[in-house]
Amino acid sequence: MPRLLPSMTPHAAAMPAAIRAVGDMRPSARALPASALWLHIHLPQLPLEVLTRGMAQHRACVLVQGQGGRRKVLMANTRAATLGVRAGMPLGAAHALGEIVEFERNERAEQQALESLGVWAMHMTPQVSLVPPDGVLLEVRGSLGLFQGLDGLLARLRQGLKQLGYRAQYAVAPTPLAATLLARGTSRSVVQDEHELGRHLGGLPLAVLRLAPAEEDALESIGVRTLGECRRLSRADLARRLSPALLDTFDRLYGQTRDPRVAMVAPESFEAGVELPWEVRNAQALVTAGERLLLQLQGYLRARTAMTRRLRWRLANGARYEERFDINLTHPTRDHDHMLLLLRETLMRMTLKQPVTALELKVDELVSGSPPVGADLFGVRHQAQGEAYANFIDRLRSRCGSEALRAMELQPDHRPEGAWRWRDNDEPARRGGTKTLFSDGLNTRPVWLVKEPVTLATHHGIPQFDGPLRLVPARERIDTGWWDERGLARDYFIARTTRGSRLWVYKELDGEQRWRLHGVFE
Amino acid sequence: MSLDELLRRACVWRARSVAPTAAGMPSGHAALDALLPGGGWPRRGLTEILSSDTGIGALRLVLPALARLSHEGRWIIWVAPPHVPYSPALSGHGLDLTRVLVVDLPADDASTRVQAIWAYEQALRFDDCGAALLWLDTLSNLRLRRLQLAAEAGSTWGLVFRPAQRAGQPSPAPLRLEIEALAESLPGVLSSATSVRVKLRKARGAQSGMHCQLEL
Repeated sequence: MPRLLPSMTPHAAAMPAAIRAVGDMRPSARALPASALWLHIHLPQLPLEVLTRGMAQHRACVLVQGQGGRRKVLMANTRAATLGVRAGMPLGAAHALGEIVEFERNERAEQQALESLGVWAMHMTPQVSLVPPDGVLLEVRGSLGLFQGLDGLLARLRQGLKQLGYRAQYAVAPTPLAATLLARGTSRSVVQDEHELGRHLGGLPLAVLRLAPAEEDALESIGVRTLGECRRLSRADLARRLSPALLDTFDRLYGQTRDPRVAMVAPESFEAGVELPWEVRNAQALVTAGERLLLQLQGYLRARTAMTRRLRWRLANGARYEERFDINLTHPTRDHDHMLLLLRETLMRMTLKQPVTALELKVDELVSGSPPVGADLFGVRHQAQGEAYANFIDRLRSRCGSEALRAMELQPDHRPEGAWRWRDNDEPARRGGTKTLFSDGLNTRPVWLVKEPVTLATHHGIPQFDGPLRLVPARERIDTGWWDERGLARDYFIARTTRGSRLWVYKELDGEQRWRLHGVFE
Repeated sequence: MSLDELLRRACVWRARSVAPTAAGMPSGHAALDALLPGGGWPRRGLTEILSSDTGIGALRLVLPALARLSHEGRWIIWVAPPHVPYSPALSGHGLDLTRVLVVDLPADDASTRVQAIWAYEQALRFDDCGAALLWLDTLSNLRLRRLQLAAEAGSTWGLVFRPAQRAGQPSPAPLRLEIEALAESLPGVLSSATSVRVKLRKARGAQSGMHCQLEL
């Protein structure tokens, strides 16, 4: 079986051996609906990028192949290329050119990254299919309106891929295979008209077909080096010299036979990770990796028309160490900027107990729906009231800790300490539900309650605070709580210091009969 | 150069001719409203309240206005208060407790102070926040300026409570008040209110040094 394009279907074998020159086919025989427009994203550096994209810091990195002394450079990033490192170079020679970081290929990570990229791309079109090992194919005709035309869509794509940390080549063509081959051959070609295909495809080298080496050699031996030259051979010739499958490839390439692609289905939950190229000890260095994951998440949530309230993060170093943390959101969202801000604040507060080498994000609680439209007619961003509040709360919590933010409410209890309580600000407020038991909270209760009552010294029975305290004669006896463990018996007074401050003090009616400071009338 | 010529030059402005201040919120104390430019508290920007002692009424000075803001549906955010704001008293002063938030940061060391200032700035920039309250002794002029800019950019009244010893330190806050307790006129009788003198230390659109007397 010849090595076919990965996306080829086995129906090629059943093809009738029609004896006709490939080029004879007229457009009238088109099998595809004219409206389809395919966009192929080709990632030539994927094997290296999956290993390095977690860090913003740019170092010369190479992917290494082979064993022992015969190790060679398989791929070099731009920084390494500027040093003069080239693919195929012996590793020793590459090291002589400068300081480079070596990586071994991780095909499982590549495959996962490609799948994640496919899921991300689903926010642009529902028809996304993977072309392993390094391509993603999108049918974009139906999405052009959404992005104000092809230029808008491509601009969005370029920006997105860059933020995700990928360098990509892409091409647009009326058949999926043409888009794939054009993207592999040249970057950024756009062919909208099927009649133009021949002209654009003709000059592409045979390599873009990814034939088995034997087949490529067979073609080269008869002087065929480009797709155009190959297409000029008669079908009988091609079928005899190579395999009938190649005829099918050409038919699909030029739109003369159907080439259906199976669309990916967005998974029920989002799960993605980024490998870090080296061990990270400082949590803040994880921001770049986190940002990329959040972008992927945003694409996923858009594709699912959903939002989320919980981001579940996991930091790991192989099987040796892991740490998990959640970021909870007050309102469901899929706003990348907001989520990134919270992540940044959270990482800022975090100390890693051990260095980590991977960051993972899992989101499995989805809320279906879309946020309210963020921009009005004039492009001015205005937030719904609730959204501004949620953003404020989330920012504060991620920086200061969720326990730092509190609301309060009254409790029906005569004990001063029990007459109120902190309320988690997620709990719905009991609006006007509880009234204070003291109708005159204005004058009999201090605005400040001292967290722990302070025992006051006494002099001749008179409590002291900045000198002797003078007591307003009216006292309030609170003797209550005998039914539970926190019973108390106190005489409360309003007291004046010599400097004019008003304090709330009490005398214990039992036990040591201490004088204690419990509040300040500020 | 005559005095008239000098006064016509753009670089000279006279305190009296400053553009009229936006109408303020009633403070709930008539004598204070008469003193404040705009006839009440400003609705945005920083206001510094310098108090000679705790417990003489710095909060009672502003509580009526806070109550009003809370009933307008605006948030009242207390950042790193030195004690627990006691709900029954706040409720007694008319505050809608469902609009009160406390950023409760532990004992004040250098790192929590930085956090408190950060949180305070966030509150100032949060549009639905009516008033944000902060208690700080030492605060650099640079930080205060940053906070003033944040308060002016948003629509939040920023209250900063500081000890009176800081009155001499220059401040970018457009309104600074000093409050001190007055000795009691009748030493024998202990009233339940405190007599205080409120002095304008600095006010855009009013003369500084004016003062009034209030029973808080």
